[in-house]
Amino acid sequence: MSVIVIAVASESGVPIFSRKRGNNENVQFSTIASLHGINMFSKCHNLSMIKTQVENGDILWKEYCKSVTLIGIATGGLECDLELLLSCVHDTMIFCIGKKELENLKNIDQIKRDLRQCYPILDYLLESLDPNAVSSTQPTLTLDLIQSMLCPQAQQLQQALDQYAESVTGRWACLSIHGQLVATSSDFHELDAREARLMLLLAAAQDGAPLRDTPVYLPHMSPNVAFRAVTCKLLADVYILVVCGATPPLSQIDEIVLQCWEGYAQMIKEAKLIHPRNFPTSITFEPSILGILAINVPRRKCVFSRHLNVSNQKSRGMSGAHRTDILRTFYVTTARHLAPELKFKENENKEECSDCISETYWSSEYHKCHAQRSGNLLCCVLYSSTVPTHTMRLITTQILQDLNTNKDVYW
Amino acid sequence: MHRTYLTWNSCSLESRHWGQLVLLGILGGCSFSGLFDVAGRERTPNGSAFFVWQARVRSGSSSVPEWDSDVGEDGELFYVKLKSNDEAAHDKQSPLLENCETFKLRNNFKRSSTRRSTKGRIFKALKVRKTKNLENDYTRKKDSSGNPSNVLNRNLIGEDNNKFVVVQVSKNMIFTSEKNCQIEKLFGLSLETHFDGKTLKVADFLVESRAIYLPKVKKGYYLQKINGIDVNSYNINNILQRVAEDHCNPKLTFQIPSGDFNIEIDKLLTSKNITDNSLIQFLKDSMCSVLYICCNDVEYNSNDDKGVLYCYPRPFNQNFLYNTRGAYVTLNHLAPKSLGTSEPITSTVLYNGTFINVSYTSYYNDLLLIAFPNKAVDLFATTRVCKNIVRILELLYGSLKSCFTKPNNVDKLDSLFSQIFVTSLAGNKSSSERKTALSVTNFEDLLAAHAVTLSLEVKVQINDAITELEAADYREWTDDVENFQRLYTVIGSCLYYSGHLLSSHLQDDDLKEINAYLKLTGILRLSVEKDLEKLVLWKEVFICEHRKQNKNDGNEFRIPDGRWFLLLVGRGHFLLATLMEAGGCTEDATGVTPPSPFYVEECESCLDLLYDVGLNKYLASWFSSNTMPQLETSPEYLTKVGRKIRDTSGLKSEGTIKTSTLKLPKFQSEMKKRHNSSEQINIGTSASENATNYGSHHSLYNQWYSGPQKQYRHSSNLDISYSEDSNSLKSNSEISDDRVQGRRADREQRNRRDSSGSDSDWDRQEGSRASSSIDVSDIRKSLLNEIDQVTTHRITAGEENVLFHFIQLETAKGVLIAPVKNIEVQANNVLYSHIIKSFRSACVKIHELLQQNIRFKTNHAPANPLNKILIAVKEYGILFQTPPSILGQCGINKKSESFQFWAVGRVFSEPEPRELYVCYHESVPQDLTEVAYLLSYLE
Repeated sequence: MSVIVIAVASESGVPIFSRKRGNNENVQFSTIASLHGINMFSKCHNLSMIKTQVENGDILWKEYCKSVTLIGIATGGLECDLELLLSCVHDTMIFCIGKKELENLKNIDQIKRDLRQCYPILDYLLESLDPNAVSSTQPTLTLDLIQSMLCPQAQQLQQALDQYAESVTGRWACLSIHGQLVATSSDFHELDAREARLMLLLAAAQDGAPLRDTPVYLPHMSPNVAFRAVTCKLLADVYILVVCGATPPLSQIDEIVLQCWEGYAQMIKEAKLIHPRNFPTSITFEPSILGILAINVPRRKCVFSRHLNVSNQKSRGMSGAHRTDILRTFYVTTARHLAPELKFKENENKEECSDCISETYWSSEYHKCHAQRSGNLLCCVLYSSTVPTHTMRLITTQILQDLNTNKDVYW
Repeated sequence: MHRTYLTWNSCSLESRHWGQLVLLGILGGCSFSGLFDVAGRERTPNGSAFFVWQARVRSGSSSVPEWDSDVGEDGELFYVKLKSNDEAAHDKQSPLLENCETFKLRNNFKRSSTRRSTKGRIFKALKVRKTKNLENDYTRKKDSSGNPSNVLNRNLIGEDNNKFVVVQVSKNMIFTSEKNCQIEKLFGLSLETHFDGKTLKVADFLVESRAIYLPKVKKGYYLQKINGIDVNSYNINNILQRVAEDHCNPKLTFQIPSGDFNIEIDKLLTSKNITDNSLIQFLKDSMCSVLYICCNDVEYNSNDDKGVLYCYPRPFNQNFLYNTRGAYVTLNHLAPKSLGTSEPITSTVLYNGTFINVSYTSYYNDLLLIAFPNKAVDLFATTRVCKNIVRILELLYGSLKSCFTKPNNVDKLDSLFSQIFVTSLAGNKSSSERKTALSVTNFEDLLAAHAVTLSLEVKVQINDAITELEAADYREWTDDVENFQRLYTVIGSCLYYSGHLLSSHLQDDDLKEINAYLKLTGILRLSVEKDLEKLVLWKEVFICEHRKQNKNDGNEFRIPDGRWFLLLVGRGHFLLATLMEAGGCTEDATGVTPPSPFYVEECESCLDLLYDVGLNKYLASWFSSNTMPQLETSPEYLTKVGRKIRDTSGLKSEGTIKTSTLKLPKFQSEMKKRHNSSEQINIGTSASENATNYGSHHSLYNQWYSGPQKQYRHSSNLDISYSEDSNSLKSNSEISDDRVQGRRADREQRNRRDSSGSDSDWDRQEGSRASSSIDVSDIRKSLLNEIDQVTTHRITAGEENVLFHFIQLETAKGVLIAPVKNIEVQANNVLYSHIIKSFRSACVKIHELLQQNIRFKTNHAPANPLNKILIAVKEYGILFQTPPSILGQCGINKKSESFQFWAVGRVFSEPEPRELYVCYHESVPQDLTEVAYLLSYLE
């Protein structure tokens, strides 16, 4: 597996940064120049290179804001998401330095330095294309979904978050446990899913800092005016994020946090117990289920779990991380077709996506995957290979029904 | 005195009549043809003595073959003569509109669906009136048919805005219709469906109606509206009904086919020089392009065009591939060297608002680039088509390098590539007259040769005929065997019927290459669209085994250093491709080697043999019979509403209109049970017929008794052919035994056989082997003329047939088995077309995913990293939900009724990779292993 993302200034050809993941060598300067040259040359002839296929991989050029060209090369992984990755990388660049700066590119050296702070986020993003990456605890499962937990306390926590956001004169606040979204303030969903994801990644990237504020440009909401993102560590692995204006100062926020959250410590601890399972205890699963990925399509939220039944955890041959990988690959390559609105197609000629797929499955020698959609919910389930296909369908339908009706589920 | 080639030339260029001889051929033949005049040749058939090759084969034909003057300077030949139009018209029954029965069927379905609603009474009333009309028609017809010109109030309103023509037809005019077809009666027109299966096209005018239409409306125009309502093949019956009861004069709106470049494939195939500027312009506009670049320094500097050895369409500076070649060459170098990836396979580029797929093929330092527009040939198709193009070039020239460096080869390459491009684009252009799915970019057309499951008897007949040809037993022809050295050894051959591979005795690689050649040059398409009177092709080829063989390898099994030729002979819809070897035990072929009339005749007589046994008739009806295995082509019957409609319509229309879409009339009464079929092979009649007559599949037993007379005839036939042999008598009695006792007997018999450990196939073969003393051709005839005794097979589980489509692909062999290509046209059903479209798109997805598994198992690409999760997947299924709009068109308007169907693909890796794709209704879960198993019984 290898992913390389290179950013070049479109006009001058100056390389801005290059990030890579996997077992490949660093890309040399001359290679970057040649790659950029190909794009420039074809542009002169009114031709744009959209995508190049190599064996098990893709090479992609993409120009953003008429100023920055991103070049992506991915092999042996989930290269079908390369275009989405480049778009996310571009979002991250805006997130850090703002759209105006990126369009003007006046002082390239300064911009290069400024962008350095978003390298950790970029690296998390690159992880999403590695099919065997889930050893990392960060929420890098998919590029287009916010990883979250379904806990019954979410409603009460939402009230607390609303209160907190109000007291710091902010609008959007959320609570994350282990990098996963647990509860949000009531208008948090105004933010684009990718912006919310960037916020979570930002918190993850600032490892361990108890309280910090960072100027951020929201790529869709306000690409030119910076907001202040305040991350605050409540407990181990528990963060509160809020997007607010210039006031109040950090020291004051520290006090407000204490006031607001003192009473919720117990509740947060309870919520934390949900963690590896990520589903409320009132939802039970068949023992043949090895893992599950439930997605709320309009909210772009997903819940992943591989610790469904504690008892037979050890008896299965497959390691937990591998299960995550399988489900993730299944979603990215196959199950995403069930939700056409999730498909990322910017430049591709829009083919009429008239085929309405309602279910899909894989079966391999070691496991089976089944995905079904019902209304807003999409459910990908990993089964052991002994389960017959029609039984899989029944069980998945049952799970979807559970998720739709259970009172402890707050998306 | 006319010089032959001139006469023929003018024929093909000017006349639009296929009734005349269409012949262009490779004009090098003029060196011969100058010697004769046409008449003289006919008078002196024996004047062939001074042909060298005639002398070499002593027992060769006694007359000069008609293709003789078309043999090129290099010995190659392409000769086509099509059957005349009148003659062909009979065979060319378009399955849709000329065959009015299918129309009635659709009609029937629609009508009955509305009959259930409140409108029911109106429709009943309508029906009564309509029958009255029919009577009136009949009486009036007699009056008016005499002098069509006395119809006074006919109007001809021609809107000459270049796009539409409106014609008003008088209501008082009644046309005679031999076929009793509504359209003909009302409008005096016969229609056919356009290639897309939806648009209606004018096929012909009745004699009486010609005066009305002809100045303004021509054949090939599209019928767009009737009385201002858009019509297509799906709704025409409804509209016709409305017209029939309406008092106003119907107004027809025709659309003139817009500037679609209409290319006659046969002209393209036979012309030697592509001087047609409009063709080149067409290819330029459609963004098809090919470029071969030599990238080593020596050539780069010496060549005027910076290493470009070939470029088409020309001129260079207007070819976008030529102009931007730097980008592709750089990328091709850069990717493997600096990025650590493989060489690029394809690039998608955007040029002038068109998405274009460019494929790369490296040959040492050289690079072959081929571009197709994404609209016509998508990314998946581009890689496959380009792979096949490389196969063709290697077959014809040995290697890519020699192909593009061979002197004086540009004209030939031009015509080859124009053929390939035109054929590839044909998928969405309207150049075909028949509406068979002739696109080469469909999933099943891209991957392998399309074969079909035939019954054992037919397969035996076919293979028998081909083997006879290959055996080359010429003792009967010549007495002095000692002095006779043959010119060629036949090393394999394959037979196509109407684009489907019937049998192949070629090596897998040879088959793949020959299939690619026939398919992409459009020869296969020609054989589907047109009825061939005669087709002869002769070409030197470089077979795969020879190309790959190491020259210095001292292996004793190496193939001889010789030359190989491809001989293609066609007749009707048959194409027989034969691979000839000159070398080893044959006379050496040196210099220019024109085709030997003797071998051409041999191949022709092989086809004659197939005609003798009636295979042409058998296949024509077999292809429309939908039996092996049977598909459900009326998918709406699987819904609740549809079932009700079917039941009611079946009851009410009994005796008047048959609900069956099958054309095998006596089919329900003749059920022949296969001995070797396991219990799971569900043998039954078509679901629709079943319902009409018996209600359900369970009443199968009844059928054993239902048609005693026909059974008697059938068995007596068998008795005659086998009567001299006691063995076969026994087997015959076994068959009749079966018939009487049905399944139970079969089960018992199988048990008996199982215990003895023998397979039933053997039993039967023993019988036929023993009876070899009988005149074989008699048996042949008796077997193949019994067309009506086709058995239907089902490969899906469940009471009802839920199978819509399937594809079984063996990539290594280059063969796939699938239902006949025109099954969609046969079905003539919106829902079915939707299902097939979804199935094809799913197959592409599934195929690409399963390739990871196959590649990993066959270990072809260990160097490149594979996604470890994807390599384990061996089955991939997609469940489609049909949009309500399409269901509505089928008369299912109920909101609660949903229609879901699976498209499932599975790879079987043992003994060699095989992929099976099945499309079936969701109601009955299927096990693909089982389906594959049952399918294998049909092979």
